[in-house]
Amino acid sequence: MRQVDLQPLVEALREPMRRFVREARVRIALLVNGSGQILAQHGFTRSYEVVSVAALAAAAHAAARALAQLTGQARWTHLHHAGQELQLVLAPFHTPGEELILVAIFDEDSSLGLVQLYLERLAGEVGQLPQFQRVLAFTDAAGFERELEAGLRSFFASELGSG
Amino acid sequence: MSDVLSVALSRLSRVDGVRGALIVDAQAGVPVVSELADGVAEPAVAALAASLFRRTAKAAGAAAFGGLETLQLEAEAGHVVMAGAGELVVVVVAEADAQLGLIRLEAQRAAGSLA
Repeated sequence: MRQVDLQPLVEALREPMRRFVREARVRIALLVNGSGQILAQHGFTRSYEVVSVAALAAAAHAAARALAQLTGQARWTHLHHAGQELQLVLAPFHTPGEELILVAIFDEDSSLGLVQLYLERLAGEVGQLPQFQRVLAFTDAAGFERELEAGLRSFFASELGSG
Repeated sequence: MSDVLSVALSRLSRVDGVRGALIVDAQAGVPVVSELADGVAEPAVAALAASLFRRTAKAAGAAAFGGLETLQLEAEAGHVVMAGAGELVVVVVAEADAQLGLIRLEAQRAAGSLA
């Protein structure tokens, strides 16, 4: 958990995420850190959905990482769930500062291959951002809640403003 | 099944001017098997070729042309030839001066053996 203002990170991620969504043709995309803090989102209309998905993504990531370690794997690359209409990819990637987790939900307009392809580009772009070049300080649970609420307000205020 | 895939790829890869061939899962856009020359980005070719094939198949359907059999992409420095095989797509990456007729024939033959 970071003891920093999330707004510069959110701003810096806006364009790379927009490009990823457009090129990979995903319906919903969410970028969170290992603590479940939301750094970028596209396609959600309700804040509680974002919070739920972010928390579940962080939990799934932790479980998959533990499973990978149990089976002798250093890390895992992605988790893919194919439903009848929608598919979900949950993929961690590293920046110099911290590990981030992308959640992407897509339909037949995209594919696992396209998501993987453009995720690689997204990871490269985010890894180059100055905001993700250093490991940042941890904060307490109350701070996390404040950042989460501020982040959600920021996302949904900007979407309402642009819509 | 993997023998059938390997034989199909091997035949394609032996055609003059072919830089590589892949058999791709059409829906997932990921390679099933491949034989590619160095410098050909396998995941990118698989994902983009499958996407292009599926979209063109949709367009063909919308235009009442029926199912899409083959698709050929011409670029400045080469060609990409694709042939549908049910849930799979045979993708061939070839040089600009490759024997396209033979490549199309072999791609269709490969697709026929997989479907």
